[in-house]
Amino acid sequence: MADTREVISSGNHLAALAGADAGCRFMGGYPITPSSEVIEQMSDLLPARGGVCIQMEDEIAAVAAAVGAGMAGERTLTATSGPGISLKAENLGLAQMCEVPLVVINVMRGGPSTGLPTRVSQGDVRQAKNPSHGDYRSITLCAGNLSECYTEVVRAFNLADRFMQPVFVLLDETIGHMHGKAIIPTEEAVKSGIVPRKQFDGAPEDYHPYECEDDQPAVLNKMFEGYRYHFTGLHHDKNGFPTEEIETCRKLIQRLEDKVMKHTDELELNEEFMLDDMTGEEGEVLIIAYGSVALAAKESIRHLRAAGIKAGLFRPVTLWPSPAESIKKHTDMIKNVLCVELNIRQYMEEIERVSCRLDIEGLFKVNGRPISPHEIVSKVKEVF
Amino acid sequence: MATSAMVEYPGDVPVWVNTDNCKACDICVSVCPSGVLGMVYDSTSTLGAMISVDNPESCIGCNDCELNCPDFAIYVASKQEFKFAKLTDDAKARQERIVANNYMSLSEEGVK
Amino acid sequence: MAFNYDKYLRLEKMPTLWCWGCGDGVILKAFVRAIEKMNINQDDVCVVSGIGCSGRFSSYVDFNTVHTTHGRTVAFATGIKLMHPDKLVICVAGDGDSLAIGGNHTIHACRRNIDMTFLIINNFIYGLTNSQTSPTTPQGMWSVTQKVGNIDPTFNTCDLGIAAGASFVARETMLEPKKLEKVLLKAMQHKGFSLIDVLSNCHINLGRKNKMLSAMANLEWIDSITITKKKYDTLSDEEKLNKFPLGILKQDLEVREYCDMYKEIQDIHQGKRAKLTQDDFAKKI
Repeated sequence: MADTREVISSGNHLAALAGADAGCRFMGGYPITPSSEVIEQMSDLLPARGGVCIQMEDEIAAVAAAVGAGMAGERTLTATSGPGISLKAENLGLAQMCEVPLVVINVMRGGPSTGLPTRVSQGDVRQAKNPSHGDYRSITLCAGNLSECYTEVVRAFNLADRFMQPVFVLLDETIGHMHGKAIIPTEEAVKSGIVPRKQFDGAPEDYHPYECEDDQPAVLNKMFEGYRYHFTGLHHDKNGFPTEEIETCRKLIQRLEDKVMKHTDELELNEEFMLDDMTGEEGEVLIIAYGSVALAAKESIRHLRAAGIKAGLFRPVTLWPSPAESIKKHTDMIKNVLCVELNIRQYMEEIERVSCRLDIEGLFKVNGRPISPHEIVSKVKEVF
Repeated sequence: MATSAMVEYPGDVPVWVNTDNCKACDICVSVCPSGVLGMVYDSTSTLGAMISVDNPESCIGCNDCELNCPDFAIYVASKQEFKFAKLTDDAKARQERIVANNYMSLSEEGVK
Repeated sequence: MAFNYDKYLRLEKMPTLWCWGCGDGVILKAFVRAIEKMNINQDDVCVVSGIGCSGRFSSYVDFNTVHTTHGRTVAFATGIKLMHPDKLVICVAGDGDSLAIGGNHTIHACRRNIDMTFLIINNFIYGLTNSQTSPTTPQGMWSVTQKVGNIDPTFNTCDLGIAAGASFVARETMLEPKKLEKVLLKAMQHKGFSLIDVLSNCHINLGRKNKMLSAMANLEWIDSITITKKKYDTLSDEEKLNKFPLGILKQDLEVREYCDMYKEIQDIHQGKRAKLTQDDFAKKI
């Protein structure tokens, strides 16, 4: 096909390339295993295209510089792992509150704390939902194969501009360092699909960046183009200035919620693998997995089917907000549900919540090693 | 509250005030060399006092009051607009009395 | 009239929320007068402020303005400046914001020598949150977190800036607004990181239990602990211990500015010049 290309690369490299191709002009980063390759690549890719990649003095400065560049009007990126997200939390909250687009790549490793820096986990899924204090809605995507390390970062940049807030892209150490073939869109295809943030083109005196409909994001014009306004993390009025006025504050926070939750159709993305022949009959098994675990899950499904067990995979690509209706559609129909993740119950608790079921089985692994197809097959045979 | 920081030059005065912005901090009164200014009691304003231009005829146009006012509450004409006075010993002495009066105008009684 | 500030102010925000007699207002005015002399379009200016009373600075001036999280002022500004190296970027923060929580960012912004002006409004206390000790609160003074006397030694802001590599370092007070205006102008015109320590009064919070409840008493104290650089150089070591020198303490025009150096990086990646080596730099360690 003319608009795809075949490359041999690794997850982190593809993520960086995606950012550069999607029009990212600034990256603020800091070294942390297993994400460091992203900034290493960007330090070459961005200046070659007239952008800036800077290694700041710490994780907090890295995200602050990235948000600053976002306030200036540019597409910006930061990349880190779990401990870095913990450090960045306050400024991620500022980006949410000020409605600044930002793509945050988290290449997950063993946690909590220093954890297992060179080993895999999916332990930051719950954190991605609420890295910072207060009320807001996270948008979190999770790459489940090498190609998605590219396509999900591209999608993240467009979503960040559409929803005017940070968008998380979760990789994990396995997929970040996995080296192999990926079929990805061409640079031209990506460029033609770029949907930049909305801009106001009327008179400056008519411009009110935070005056928008109740389910729409702010319209933040680029800096230095004649539209002078204010950014603040305090509750603010239509021009961005601090206020404590009762109704203004209520509307602002409700809008941060509604601008995402009333448009989940624009965010939802799932993969259904071998689910189309499921009818709800006895013995069918639904596996729910995401990220690199899904690769093992797909292989385990091939083994299970060969052994006569009708199994299928539901893989959310957008983790937050969760695809509640789609999940429930499957969990209402299929009795045996197994959630497989490299953490303890982090997404399973969401599955339980949206399916209204407490009888879902879970296979959890938190010792820094990937889950093998064999382990999934064994678990299915054990519990169902 | 939308008030203009700058009040139009009323014409023919060396120094004038914007009472909407004055917070009665006393600084302008303390830096004036010529005893032009003083605070007067005002029950409706911050700290119960308000700036008053009592002796404009002594104003030498040094601009210290305006430079040191944190609140855009006092303005001085330019040397092209107004012919300022020279500093006199009497004016200096009056300033000392105002300072000793806790920056209150000599028309007011005692300490705040 | 002498000076019309209106053009540079967000008039609908007046009067300011600062306390009566707060030095922040005097510094704001000196800054506006200095900006006027830059003869620059307001659209080409960005003011970034931190958290604290001085953090409200950015909402009063009519430029592109940003009110950031506590201590991260210069980090945000670095992102803005790198995307727009030709614009004027000014950071305003207090002593707590810039030297405590933001100390690391201050140090590295100085080290990078990125072209921006960092106006540190040093009132020797955490004012907005009511009188907690800051890295510049003098030992022995009262604060709410050290009510029996502060034991924390103090930072010398300018020494820190010089040691960290800032190419323009100055100290002034709000006692002499015309001098302050001149130094602010020089700082903004300087190409490189300009750090200015502006000593200011907080008679409400620092002053209230440190015998300086009136603005004038606080100003007298600032006057008593400052001296021009020229006179300072003649003092004995013992006398120097309790005086801050005022004026431009360092101005180095030889140090390369960060955005300029990054332009070289872009040129290298675009094939316009050869890679850098140590020979491109005078300092090899």
